Amino acid sequence: MQRFRYALLLAAGAGFFLFQAKPTSVYAASSAPAAQAKDGAIVANPGSIAYENHCAICHGVQREGILPAFPPLVGIQHQKTDQQIMDLIHTGKGRMPAFPKLQGPELTALVHFLESPALSVSDSAADEGAHSSAVHASPLVDAGKALFQQNCAFCHGRDAMGGETGPDLTRSKLVLADVKGDKISEVVRDGRPEKKMPAFNFSSQEVLGLAAYIHSQEAKAASMKGGRRGVDVADLQTGNAALGKEYFNGAGTCAKCHSATGDLAGIANRYEGLQLEMRMLYPRGVKSQVVVTLPSGTKLAGTLVYQDEFVIGMRAKDGTFHSWKTRNVKFHVDSPVDAHVELFPKYTDDDIHNLMAYIQTLR
Amino acid sequence: MKFSKIAFVVVASALVWSAFPSSLPAQNVDAATLLNPPADSWPSYHGDYTGKRHSKLTQITLKNVNQLTLAWAFQTERSPTIKSSPLLVDGVLYFTTPDNVWAVDARSGQLIWHYTYPPNKGDHIGQRGVAIYKGWIYFASPDAHLVCLNAKDGKVRWIVEVADVNKGYWTTEAPQIVGNHVIVGVGGDMDNLQTFIRAVDPETGKTQWQFDVTAPAGTPNTATGGTTWMAGTYDPELNLIYWGTGNPTPVLTGSTRPGDNLYTCSIVALNPDTGKLVWAFQPSPHDTHDWDAIEIPVLVDGPFRGKQRKMLMQASRNGYFFVLDRTNGKNLLTVPFGPVNWASKVDETGRPIPNPKKEPSPDGVLIAPDEGGLTNFRSPSFDPKTGLFLVDAHPSWSLYFAKPADGTYGWAGADYGLWGKGVLEAIDYQTGKIRWSHELGPGGSGAGVLTTDSGLTFTGDAHGNFLALDTANGKTLWHAGAGAYIASSPITYKLDGDQYVVTSGGGVLFAWKLPSTSR
Repeated sequence: MQRFRYALLLAAGAGFFLFQAKPTSVYAASSAPAAQAKDGAIVANPGSIAYENHCAICHGVQREGILPAFPPLVGIQHQKTDQQIMDLIHTGKGRMPAFPKLQGPELTALVHFLESPALSVSDSAADEGAHSSAVHASPLVDAGKALFQQNCAFCHGRDAMGGETGPDLTRSKLVLADVKGDKISEVVRDGRPEKKMPAFNFSSQEVLGLAAYIHSQEAKAASMKGGRRGVDVADLQTGNAALGKEYFNGAGTCAKCHSATGDLAGIANRYEGLQLEMRMLYPRGVKSQVVVTLPSGTKLAGTLVYQDEFVIGMRAKDGTFHSWKTRNVKFHVDSPVDAHVELFPKYTDDDIHNLMAYIQTLR
Repeated sequence: MKFSKIAFVVVASALVWSAFPSSLPAQNVDAATLLNPPADSWPSYHGDYTGKRHSKLTQITLKNVNQLTLAWAFQTERSPTIKSSPLLVDGVLYFTTPDNVWAVDARSGQLIWHYTYPPNKGDHIGQRGVAIYKGWIYFASPDAHLVCLNAKDGKVRWIVEVADVNKGYWTTEAPQIVGNHVIVGVGGDMDNLQTFIRAVDPETGKTQWQFDVTAPAGTPNTATGGTTWMAGTYDPELNLIYWGTGNPTPVLTGSTRPGDNLYTCSIVALNPDTGKLVWAFQPSPHDTHDWDAIEIPVLVDGPFRGKQRKMLMQASRNGYFFVLDRTNGKNLLTVPFGPVNWASKVDETGRPIPNPKKEPSPDGVLIAPDEGGLTNFRSPSFDPKTGLFLVDAHPSWSLYFAKPADGTYGWAGADYGLWGKGVLEAIDYQTGKIRWSHELGPGGSGAGVLTTDSGLTFTGDAHGNFLALDTANGKTLWHAGAGAYIASSPITYKLDGDQYVVTSGGGVLFAWKLPSTSR
């Protein structure tokens, strides 16, 4: 009887474990009241019906895809032959299930439908209030746009022209210099940890789409000229250069570290507008120097690479990286850029505008 | 013999299956559990209804915390950063990232189930966690739906729409359970939208009541916005829920919305059974800097300058620390807890009044704090013994711009952060004076704060180090590198006699405990 009880407990335990340990991934697409159904202008032909029945749930009502998981199918004829498309439908791929029962006229109609031009999508929220039209430039741009709305719009704005925290990408020098994502992809994949931009694990195709969307917005913004939102060089010309010069040499204490004929000579040729003003107020990425004194008394000088309350790391002049526990060494960090931080509470807005006017004369 | 064997199997299986429901009694979190959470649980976003994020547990002490060691780590194997506060119920942890819910064994860190919401076009900016009630999990999706899952296996029970994603709404909030209500809020300040706090029936998902933060969109000379994206707190004696609301829209331009823009950037006290407004206090009247007042309204009972009070404290994104009498919303204290330059005065009701010269302008104005605020959604903690309110502060400076071409829809301007850093500030709640500060590094930390009765403060720094500090003086007692940005608030609980602290960095959840000597 004792043994029986024990066995029962064991069995119960095993059952419990089996039940609990079963990993379940639940896709509830069908039970979710999908919003896409509302704006789907479905043309009643056999191909579109087949598409709606079998494909739309993942690839979107209008073949726009639901990135990053499900690729858009608009323009598929440029990537695959009819036979390849039919094979893919029959065999499935990755998370895409196989549809072996799709045969004959239904299959032919579906493939024809897949190769037809895209309907123009009206994407209400995305374009509301913006100046953009609802006509889409290309499938790549559309795919990039969808990805952008989910992952980038919160910070960079729906139209990529700036939003919460993130800069206006249409005025970015990096975007300007980018060709087919060669520069953008790096930033997207590595992130910008120092500015709290996360890294995104997108495929090459997805990054291409993002870059295409950003460039399309760049072109759109450029065509807006004076009516364009965001900060133009012309917006930053309200100061008085003479007063700015006075501030530079006097109350602003700028001349303590900088010289109009030395380090700042020609600065206005190298930077302009908002970039120049932000750099004037706080130049990012300026390296600090550190001198570390080891317990032996030996001193090592180099560029500060890392510092928290536990570890200090620096790169010596020969390029070698060194690090120490902060409690084991003495060190002195020389960080002249901190003087900019001390100025923040002292500026009036006029001081800034005047200083900006003066700095712009340093050509 | 053979017969008895078969009989055994049959009986045993029958017993196993029938024993199932009763073998998981405690997933049945009810109102009583939520009112008095046992030490072996963390059953709601804040752990309890007060929002203090303070635990009575004392196994981990000032003396032994330096021995804290990794019990396990759980890898989501996905790039999104965990911004959720996990729940712990019956030895199971539940936590999220956008579109994802994980149930993980709190003893081993092994996966129990994983739910994936279907691909959708909602904003994937963050997900703060789930709520649990009577064996059901409540989860908000990026496309503004509320999902009810079976806590045992993650199977969908129902999904209801909270708001229309096509209009620009999204949801990131951890729902809050109060009585027989699942209380949900919405995000969406890229459009001029009316927002709300809504109570939903936990069984059916049907709306019970809705509190609208503003007048409907399109009402002349009024604001929209006021998003409700963080779980509030609850006082069962007063039967009031306290909820923070977000910034008005259009965000950086206030020309089309003169006046205070009630009830945006406010703390509202609502009756949880009816949704009726009992009082409101507005930390940021007529905000033009995106400073949501959604930071945790922390409920504290204690003396305030000689008088026993029922208080509500908020370290607000706009840079001010507020103490209110939570019975009536009257202000007791308003003090900045870092650099703030946008207000011309604090009025007689305790509200900082914006200086019109510091509204975003075509040539730019210098503003402290930046748009991320002097603090953000990550939880502060209140330590009753020291009377300290500990908050992850973000001293920062930025430029704000707005011009006619920016329009009066959605963002309607531009702002650029110049510089910021992270500092843990320990605020004396009776004076607002900062008793100690602990530097957290350049840029700023995204870690929330947890305190325990043993005098410990858990948080994280800007470099991705988890930190344990002495609550009395802010000295570091223990640290461990997460290897990634920390963007959640720690929790603690006791399981099998061990006190655990659970933190996250990047997409990894870490469970910490003292080394076991007995096993």
